[in-house]
Amino acid sequence: MASPSYDKQNPAFFALLAALIFMAIGPIFLMLVNSFKLDVDIISGTSGLLFLPTIQNYETALCDILWYELEHLDYCSLKFGQSFINSLIIALVSTVLTLVIGCMAAYALVRFRFMGRDVASVSTLMVRMVPPAVLLVPVFGLWNNEFCIDKTTMVGEWIRDTFGGRGDVCLAGTYSGIILIYVAMNLPFVIWILQSFIVQVPRQLEEAAKMDGANPFQVFFLVVLPLIKPGLAAAAIFTFRIAWNEYLLASALSDRDTKTVPILIVNNMSEFNVEWGVIMATGMLLAIPPIIFTLLASRQIITGMTAGAVKG
Amino acid sequence: MHKLLGYLTSTAAGLAMLAGSAFAGPYDEYEGTTLVVNFPAHPHFNAVMKILPEFTKETGIEVEVDQLPYLKMRERQTLELAQDEGDYDLIAYVVFSKADYVYADQLENLAKYFMNPKLADPSYDAGDLIDGYVYNIGFAGGEKGYLQGKTGSLFGIPYGSETSILGYRKDIFEKHGLNVPETYEELLETACKIPELEPGMGGLSSRAASGHHASHAFLLHLAPLGGRVFDDQWNPIVNNEAGVEAANALKKIVECGPEGAASFGFGEALGSFLNGDTAMFLDTTVVAGQIDDPKKSKVVGKVGWALHPEGTRRGSQTGGFGIGIPANAEHKEAAFLLMQWLTSKQGDKLVAMAGGNPSRFSTHQDEDVNEKFPHMATFGEALKHADPDWRPIIPVWGKINADLGTTLSKVLTEDLDVQEALDGVAERTRTVMDEAGYYTWQ
Amino acid sequence: MKTATLNRLTPYIFMAPAALIMIIALLYPLGYMIYGSFRAWDPSQTLSETEFVGLKNYISLLNDPNFHESLAVTLKFAFVVVSIEMVLGVGLALLLDRNIRGMSILRTLFILPMMIAPVVVGLMWRYMYHPTVGTFNRFLKSIGLDGVDWLGQHALMSVIIADIWQWTPFIFILSLAALQSLPSSALEASRIDGATGWQQIWHIKLPLMMPVLIVTCLLRLIDAFKVLEVILVMTEGGPGLSTEILALRISRTATEFRELGTAAAMSNYLLILLMLLTASMFAYTKFQEARAARLAAHAKEDD
Repeated sequence: MASPSYDKQNPAFFALLAALIFMAIGPIFLMLVNSFKLDVDIISGTSGLLFLPTIQNYETALCDILWYELEHLDYCSLKFGQSFINSLIIALVSTVLTLVIGCMAAYALVRFRFMGRDVASVSTLMVRMVPPAVLLVPVFGLWNNEFCIDKTTMVGEWIRDTFGGRGDVCLAGTYSGIILIYVAMNLPFVIWILQSFIVQVPRQLEEAAKMDGANPFQVFFLVVLPLIKPGLAAAAIFTFRIAWNEYLLASALSDRDTKTVPILIVNNMSEFNVEWGVIMATGMLLAIPPIIFTLLASRQIITGMTAGAVKG
Repeated sequence: MHKLLGYLTSTAAGLAMLAGSAFAGPYDEYEGTTLVVNFPAHPHFNAVMKILPEFTKETGIEVEVDQLPYLKMRERQTLELAQDEGDYDLIAYVVFSKADYVYADQLENLAKYFMNPKLADPSYDAGDLIDGYVYNIGFAGGEKGYLQGKTGSLFGIPYGSETSILGYRKDIFEKHGLNVPETYEELLETACKIPELEPGMGGLSSRAASGHHASHAFLLHLAPLGGRVFDDQWNPIVNNEAGVEAANALKKIVECGPEGAASFGFGEALGSFLNGDTAMFLDTTVVAGQIDDPKKSKVVGKVGWALHPEGTRRGSQTGGFGIGIPANAEHKEAAFLLMQWLTSKQGDKLVAMAGGNPSRFSTHQDEDVNEKFPHMATFGEALKHADPDWRPIIPVWGKINADLGTTLSKVLTEDLDVQEALDGVAERTRTVMDEAGYYTWQ
Repeated sequence: MKTATLNRLTPYIFMAPAALIMIIALLYPLGYMIYGSFRAWDPSQTLSETEFVGLKNYISLLNDPNFHESLAVTLKFAFVVVSIEMVLGVGLALLLDRNIRGMSILRTLFILPMMIAPVVVGLMWRYMYHPTVGTFNRFLKSIGLDGVDWLGQHALMSVIIADIWQWTPFIFILSLAALQSLPSSALEASRIDGATGWQQIWHIKLPLMMPVLIVTCLLRLIDAFKVLEVILVMTEGGPGLSTEILALRISRTATEFRELGTAAAMSNYLLILLMLLTASMFAYTKFQEARAARLAAHAKEDD
């Protein structure tokens, strides 16, 4: 990519490039700017860039984890800090789990012929198309009513004693409930991408390791995994992105203690009071991790995207 | 040694308890309890958030609030109340949830708490609560199943009573010598005159967005224009003359309204009034606080208030929230104490002073409150005309409401014929009602 | 002996966690949903308490004009969005397939819209489309034009624009990758034959890119049926039902109307639709593979 010799420069292309870049980041930039404005400035909109920047919106958003009292607030209604932590826990745990489980499965699908292999690979592909909205109804029903441990059983009683709460112990409302569905949703995609990377690992390396007496697990963890790092990076970013950004299922499965940031943002678009400044600030905070990933690892993302599509 | 220590502490505790029961305050037994309550993100309940620390200080009962947008709150409650044991000890519910919850046996009947001498405060003065709201929000089992009546009883207490009121820009009205509209004819005429007089300004900003908003705006005009959704036999009559008139009124208001009015939710409608883009606002009383807040409003001090204009009758909306105790709550008695405290004379005044909507006659007449909020007297007057039956409160209403709202939105944006649209709603409503068994006795 | 057993079991051990999770959290729920779609199911009931109603949910949907409208909106949205994005994305890729300064910056920044949370994308556009406060109307008014009722009368167009903004880069990047991996010999040969730029694009580049383009297109189409949050935040499906895509209608039916059975039946209709699309993609790739194998075999014979 960093080819030193460029084609003959044509100003028209530069203009086009600049226009495209402007279009791609314009709305994001606008959100950034507005997040530093007071609502009065946003609504009156007298001057595009001439305004007194304020961090008040960010203070309002983060009021539950700030160490100082805010004068402009009577009380802290947005529990953004808590949601941010929830989002982090859910996104990170589900990413790690998906990667570990996914690359094991991908390895099995690529390297072994076994009974049920075709079924596994076809069904992996088919579940990839299932939209989250379709999962909403059954997951809502199962997680709330069926995937429960009776609180009178030993495990149930132990959980209630340790973690508190009331009623039967159900998946809904817990981190594990949301993580489970995210892992399941992301697995097909991760398996799909990683297969294309594992195929490229030279077989001889694995054979050599086996000769040296490594068992299949050692071969996998010590030989194969290090070689597919770029693939893992791409898969990790995609999984994290989905778990970090998802709204619908999280809103059906979380309770007041496990709300994630997207839920908070949608809730905060409350009809009585559209506080654009604060909304933009929360939006910005939610967007920052993906933006950082993109700037740091755009090449891995592109590789991942191409691998995901090209390998049909 | 340990044994001795244990003995000493238990004796101390015993003595403390004895001492306690000697001067037992009503709250002592519940000190240290944490109540989990579910409130909407709504100006009234934002005011409640400010006074809750006062309650904790006075009683030692902690309150943890889960605040949600009200449609979300309803979804959450649907789920939470259906469990065997729920998280919430006290909930605020929208009026139209009353039907669902009471019908499914999910709210506590309040009789046993008011009968309990340890819990019920003799100075509560229930007669001071505004009648229409108690019947509209708290009562169930009376006439039509959801109104006052001899067979009814109390399941909740109104908290955050709203009615509709007309806000108008005094400066604009003065400038052009306009009269404050008192009838619907005058209202529509004035609304459409303003864009001519003040280019760029809309007449009246109304909510109109698809779904609940459009339906709400329509019902707001339906009652004063003499209409109803159902007749006494549950036959849909929303498509009669009054219904068509109400829909036409809404359409005219939106057409003469500010730009983009057809997609306004409540927030946008209010926003455009706050921003000075429109000369009138006809909706809930809850907005007064924001209109006087210079951080949010450009029209501070320029707004006058008048009663909801009269059509064939006076009929402003009854809205807002009630608070009730879920049948699956953990700390029901403490929850009752909180509920009683919030709706007591003292609590009602506190919340009014914090910018909430009081639910008692006395609070509306209170001097301090009126001094701080001069509009309170007009609001109190408006409450007298509030129509508890402006909207049916039956379990299937959610579905009918959604259909009504999307259909009206089509009238506003896609030029669907009004009569045809309402006929469609009436027909589909009949099917829904039939399936729900409302015609069993016919 | 022990190693042999271990070796035989290895693939199963590697597959087991993934299979288990997908069965518990995907396949079982899908089965549960199919079962539930034949029942009158309210969110306050567990499925076992519900009443069997046969095909009622499916049939009443077929007679429900709102469902028809929502289905039409979904199809319109998906196909319009994907065709515009394909044309724009592939066009840009062909135009910019050259070694110029700034390309890598563009590629990096172009990914941003896809990476940001849909709810955030929705709120950005909701702000920009706002009738008075929004960027677009402010701009239009500043040059003396009338504002446009973006999220009112033109709501569907507006959500389509937002989706194009978000996803054209996807197609652009994939087609660019495809272009850059084309065999240079073919391009070289045609250049020597004196083909003009257009002819080259039309007769060489596009046909060679076709397999990738078709897969990309189908992937995008499947994704277009999944869109929900952006529209939810921007319009909540309104005005009327003009932007109420199926995914949104499913979630409203479940949460707002509290009819889980109907929502399940609707989900099944959507699934069938997507199944057809996926099956066609699958069939297409199998066909490609077979052709490639045949070509390879021919090549071998020629040797």
